Amino acid sequence: MSEPEATQDLWAPWEDDPSDLYENAPCGYLTTLPDGTIVRVNETFLSWTGLKRSDLVGRRRFRDLLSTGGQLYHETHYAPLLAMQDDVHEIAFDIVRANGERLPALVNSVMHRDDAGRPRVIRTTVLNATERRGYERELLAARRLAEESERRVRVLQRIVADLAAAPTEAEAAAAVVRAPEPAFGATSSSVWLMDADRAQLVSVTSTDPAAAGHDDVSLKARHAVADVARRGTVHISGSVSEAERDYPDLAATMRRNGRDTAVLIPLSAVGTEEKDGPEVLGVLAFDFAEERALSETELRMAEMLGQQAGQALDRARLYDDLRRSEERATFLVSVTRAMEETHRLRPRSRRLVDRLVPEVADWAAVDLRVGPDGMRTEAGSTSPDAGWLTETIDAVAVGGEPRFLDTGPESGACPDCAVLPLTARGRVIGTLSLRMTPARHTASAEAGFLLDLADRAGLALENARLYEQERVIAQTLQRSLLAGEPPHDSRFAVETHYQPAGYDLEIGGDWFDVFLINTDKLAVVVGDVVGRGIDAATTMGQLRSAVRALATAEAGPARLLERLDDFTDRVESARMTTLAYAEVDLGTGEMTYACAGHLPPLLHEPTAPPRFLFDGRSAPLGSRAGRRPRAERRVRLVGGSRLLLYTDGLVERRDRPLDASLQVLAREYARRRDAPLPGLPAKLADTMVGRGHTDDVCLLCLALGAEERLERAIGADPAQIALLRKDLRGWLAGHQVAEESAQAILLAMSEAVANSIDHGYRDDPFGQVEVVARISAEAIEVRVTDHGVWRTPDDSEPEGRGLDLIRRMMDRVTIDRSNGTTVTLRKDRREAR
Amino acid sequence: MSEQWVTVTERDGTAVVRLVGEIDLTNASEVGQSIARGCGAAPAVLIDLTAVSFLDSSGVRVLDTLVGEFDSHGVRTRLVVGESGVARMTLQLCAFRDDLLAIDVEQAAAELRG
Repeated sequence: MSEPEATQDLWAPWEDDPSDLYENAPCGYLTTLPDGTIVRVNETFLSWTGLKRSDLVGRRRFRDLLSTGGQLYHETHYAPLLAMQDDVHEIAFDIVRANGERLPALVNSVMHRDDAGRPRVIRTTVLNATERRGYERELLAARRLAEESERRVRVLQRIVADLAAAPTEAEAAAAVVRAPEPAFGATSSSVWLMDADRAQLVSVTSTDPAAAGHDDVSLKARHAVADVARRGTVHISGSVSEAERDYPDLAATMRRNGRDTAVLIPLSAVGTEEKDGPEVLGVLAFDFAEERALSETELRMAEMLGQQAGQALDRARLYDDLRRSEERATFLVSVTRAMEETHRLRPRSRRLVDRLVPEVADWAAVDLRVGPDGMRTEAGSTSPDAGWLTETIDAVAVGGEPRFLDTGPESGACPDCAVLPLTARGRVIGTLSLRMTPARHTASAEAGFLLDLADRAGLALENARLYEQERVIAQTLQRSLLAGEPPHDSRFAVETHYQPAGYDLEIGGDWFDVFLINTDKLAVVVGDVVGRGIDAATTMGQLRSAVRALATAEAGPARLLERLDDFTDRVESARMTTLAYAEVDLGTGEMTYACAGHLPPLLHEPTAPPRFLFDGRSAPLGSRAGRRPRAERRVRLVGGSRLLLYTDGLVERRDRPLDASLQVLAREYARRRDAPLPGLPAKLADTMVGRGHTDDVCLLCLALGAEERLERAIGADPAQIALLRKDLRGWLAGHQVAEESAQAILLAMSEAVANSIDHGYRDDPFGQVEVVARISAEAIEVRVTDHGVWRTPDDSEPEGRGLDLIRRMMDRVTIDRSNGTTVTLRKDRREAR
Repeated sequence: MSEQWVTVTERDGTAVVRLVGEIDLTNASEVGQSIARGCGAAPAVLIDLTAVSFLDSSGVRVLDTLVGEFDSHGVRTRLVVGESGVARMTLQLCAFRDDLLAIDVEQAAAELRG
């Protein structure tokens, strides 16, 4: 069983008729001479090409049958190859048919040589390659398509990657607007984003900034963009006339921008369960300068792009919401903190509106229902329509329901406004009105945040209101306790000054008091209750009454303090109160004083520098650690002595040790020796602590007995004449000068001083006027001196009348102009005669 | 601010001005303006000075000007200064017309009506 045997058994059919095999073979045969002249050709070739054998044999060369390109290829490749290697295979030629059409063919040729090796004949087979070429073309087309598709996919992949990375809506829009040009060969594209709050589509970006017609579109409008957003489906206008039929606006825009095709794709996130279908977050529109039909694939890609962009927008929106809610939380905390930094009502309201504008609102106002007219604090400039505002504020204040007015035809002059109730403990205390910043969400979209804000603000403002109320009560209480007129007595004069702690701080418990224990015994006291606010003020009131009730002529200061200790044991809030207390016998000038933990009184006698009274000291009231046995000290005061009692606010300073402060006080006190008593405590307080002090200051200055000689100096300020008058009135009363004479002297002195200020110091506001009053058994003499340059005014009337008055009232008037001007007034003491 | 010194009420067509406190260089012109404003076009003006605790020549000058103005407009004027006191003393020293000065408000009001 060998193979050759088996082959031999097979029948070979072509052996029956070899010429038929040749003629009708499934390929064309050509036999040519070495120069290509056809010498034999089979039937198959003739039938394929439609050529006639008689036209070919001996008449044409093989190359003559080829297309022009084929002929070139024949010369440059086919012939040389055949000559070199005696055979060539699968050379593709187009053979020109009799009717001029091409026959794609694959050609194999073999060169036969004679014994001498010279070319003798070329045998060529021609295979019909029509089918194959078509396939190849298809293959190429398919490849081109695949490449195109791949390129698009790559573009889209890049865009999708960009979208995935886009953290904000704007960036997502910027990514998607770049897609249609490389992906579909679009001419330009634009993106609108949905603003659900305001029911409109906002044109955010376009690749063709010159393209007109990209305005914001109301969601309700009959507009291609709005329709696509509403329906959530693609719209294509394949031509201007098509667009004309559906959306005249779109057609106009296309015509204006020279576009013949427009495609609008909804940008929609995949619907979540709670929403019905996909939610449209924007619209991508792109157009072509020519009429362009989108293939199925392109359409699918465009839709896919819309979904990807929709998801990116959705993500960006969620991210944005998250960021915004973080911002809001931070904002609420910072507003609350800023408000809490100040206690009082108006500053707190101010803090609130100043934080709201411009961060949240363009304009903000707090209207509080306090006092008869209420209180408004506002910030920003674009306030809403006043009529609407007043009406709405009233409605909200009564009903307690917030009102929001968003953009829309009905909002008129007040777009994006909100009026929110400020409530605390179930009561509407006022309203917060806002006009939202356009860059933010609308008021109603921010409702949750705004109501939260109003709640916090309401509470903070209510606390400030209560604080304010308590402060007013405490101040009223303190003022009423301090306001009592000191007793009028010609044997002494008292001046007091109370200065509450610097702005924004609670009142303290400082007090002073002056009262007569009996007709000859005067008591003065200055004290300081620990703590602040209404409690301290109340306790101060109790202690003040206790001092008055417990002081007796017989007991004396030390005994009084013991009784106050007993009182303090029952009134805990009074414990550790400090006070300086002195009793003065108006007949003998003998003073007994005691200090319970208080700063030493400062005594200024007419003939000596001021000195602090450091004796008679013991512990504060009710002290458990301090020295309880109460001490007192006696000192005799001469007429004209001045005693100063004060609280620690006058001398306690962070930047100065106490003893240094006491020295400063003594110096300032001495410097004002000649100053009128009225106004002296206030001036001392001003010099010692100035403004912005952090503690209450309370001063009491007692001038004892009438000085024989009153010496005062005042600045060239008409307002000071009244102080001088008060001082002189007391001095005259102290010397039992009759009322009518006293009035005459007061008037004459006032006129003389006014003249000095008016004429002597017309050009010198820092000049000083000195007044010296002397009394003798016969007369009272007042000397008024200035060192100015006396100028008689053109209108001499006031001076004339002034001097005229003086001359009529006084018994003698002399004017000396040798050194400045000295006017000496003398009034005889008629009552003494 | 001048409310602390000046109050104006109306009584049977007469403007009743009540002055309180010290009238001197520092406040005289302000007081004068308040009085002029408060009286408006009243046909008669009564200025009660009984509560004035001090009156200097600037105050006198203002009163003098006011009375002159009132006279020239046919407005009848009375200054109530009591029987004694600071205002009476000063105005008498300045020799104000006796017919201008009255002892009490009732008398002055009666005179102005009659």
